[in-house]
Amino acid sequence: MNILRVPLLGAFLRWRHARPVLQSFLLLVSLAVVLHGLFGPQLAPRNLATVLTSIHWRGLLIVAIVAVGNLFCTACPMVLARDVSRRVFHPALRWPRWLRGKWLGLALLVAVLFSYELFDLWSRPRATALLVVAYFGLAIVIDTLFKGASFCKHLCPIGQFNFAASTMSPTELRIVDRETCRSCKTSDCIKGRPAEAGHHERGPAEAGHYVQRGCELGLFLPMKVGNLDCTMCLDCVHACPHDNIALATRTPGAELLERGRRSGIGRLPQRADLAALAVVFTFAALVSAFAMTGPAYAVEQRLAATIGARSEWAVLAIIFLVSVLVAPALLLTGASAFTRAFAETRGSLRGTILTYAYALIPIGLGIWVAHYGFHLLTGVLTIVPVVQSAVIDAFGRALLGDPLWGWVGLQPGAVFPIQLGCVLLGAAGSLAMVQAISQRDQPSRPVLAAAPWLVVVLMIATAALWILSQPMEMRAVSVLG
Amino acid sequence: MHVRVGPRAQRQRLTAVIVLVGSLAVGCSGRACGYGFDVHWRGEPESTDSIRVSWTIDPSPPVAGRPIVARLTLRDADQKPVAGARLRLEGLMSHPGMAPVTAAVTDRGNGEYDAPLQFTMAGDWILLVTGELPDGMPFTQQIEINGVRPAS
Repeated sequence: MNILRVPLLGAFLRWRHARPVLQSFLLLVSLAVVLHGLFGPQLAPRNLATVLTSIHWRGLLIVAIVAVGNLFCTACPMVLARDVSRRVFHPALRWPRWLRGKWLGLALLVAVLFSYELFDLWSRPRATALLVVAYFGLAIVIDTLFKGASFCKHLCPIGQFNFAASTMSPTELRIVDRETCRSCKTSDCIKGRPAEAGHHERGPAEAGHYVQRGCELGLFLPMKVGNLDCTMCLDCVHACPHDNIALATRTPGAELLERGRRSGIGRLPQRADLAALAVVFTFAALVSAFAMTGPAYAVEQRLAATIGARSEWAVLAIIFLVSVLVAPALLLTGASAFTRAFAETRGSLRGTILTYAYALIPIGLGIWVAHYGFHLLTGVLTIVPVVQSAVIDAFGRALLGDPLWGWVGLQPGAVFPIQLGCVLLGAAGSLAMVQAISQRDQPSRPVLAAAPWLVVVLMIATAALWILSQPMEMRAVSVLG
Repeated sequence: MHVRVGPRAQRQRLTAVIVLVGSLAVGCSGRACGYGFDVHWRGEPESTDSIRVSWTIDPSPPVAGRPIVARLTLRDADQKPVAGARLRLEGLMSHPGMAPVTAAVTDRGNGEYDAPLQFTMAGDWILLVTGELPDGMPFTQQIEINGVRPAS
């Protein structure tokens, strides 16, 4: 099904100003977050900065990815801000070749997750507001210096998270008819539609000289596969003169089984950085969920006593290092070695890891949805009284009525069955993907080849279920004093 | 005008950006994002203008799901007990999105006030005491209750 053909919704998405409208809305929300975070009450449950980011934004982002696609990137207010800045400052540089790939973005993603736990950002409205300002500043600086969507493609930690998660989305932008693309002489989907017809020598998507830019992330639609690196900006839809691009429904995760070359990405089994993103995406989901449980604080205290640490950052650094680097490396290397031994394949240890690593994304996504979904469902209504309170803070009068502080959301116990379902569904997806990969790559011994990876998936699922069943302990101060 | 910039210059500009962002992050971590409170269940006197507030939690440490009593003592600048204040107490988790708890505050005389309540979840809580002093002045006090333990 092509969603761009759905009445009303399709017409809205095809409207050239649809994205700026969505971005403007989120820009206003960001402004409210920053202002209330900086100048509002520094009480996390009563401040827009902490409530909107920790409860609603994270939850809606992940739910949107599962239900539709990478909608946050579509409506990203930072891209709107940098578009405005580019009207004044035109980028002249190309992103350095030696910094291309996901390593830098991956490091930033881990840094953001680490900082969130270390500085307890959910409890600090002013720090949250400053982080939002810093994020906007970094996006504007990078994209004012460098051409294209350098920030989105190579740096943005939220973007990298979204790219990994959206491989499981039920929609993707893709061409409708291959023959139409073969006969296309202009390739506007990547080059952009120039101001003067027939003027194409400037190369891909240099905004400012085009009436409609093409894909800024370097995805050439006829060779595009899946959602990796796709921000769903719809620039390609607007640029295509043949109306040959669809927002099509599809089987979630099927793109992870594609081994062929894809535009802007290359071949998945040859991209160690993307495989690392898949692994970190999955294991960071466990750490992030674990960090808010009672046992996490017990582990922190025991670890601190063992190594004699007096500050939280050293202890957290060890936990992160072990959880998102050492443990995954050992598990995946072990699984790869067993696969090679059992299935007697000729593939290298590294090659086997890079092939199977992507199968972890479904279980990783299941854990993220279970975690962020919990906060969203248990706190969904808190937006009402916090907005009412923010209006009082801003205007000095209860224009929206007195805050209804009793409005919260579902009871935590009622959400647990949903969390359970998310993890089990994710695990089932990963198990199916492992099975499909082994049947494709080791057809003579698929069960033996898959067995070690099935064990890894089951271990992750078991760990996730154990974590989610632990009593929550919302701590905002260091347990180390 | 299109200016061609060499790889060396590119690297220098990028390094400058990374240093700038790094500095911002470090600055943020030192001030706005600092942490390191002690776990405590007994409050030293805290002053809100002319009123000094001390408090205790009984039993201590508090356990989620079990009834406790928050006891507040209000004294003025001359250390005289402030009786007759009309107070309300709300318990909020430091994490947003969680259900608050409310408690009626009873004036026990001699500047002492009791508020029976029950924390619904383990973790860090903030008690928000609001109301009116005997002279009609508004009163607000925020008390941090760190480390409410889970029910075993």
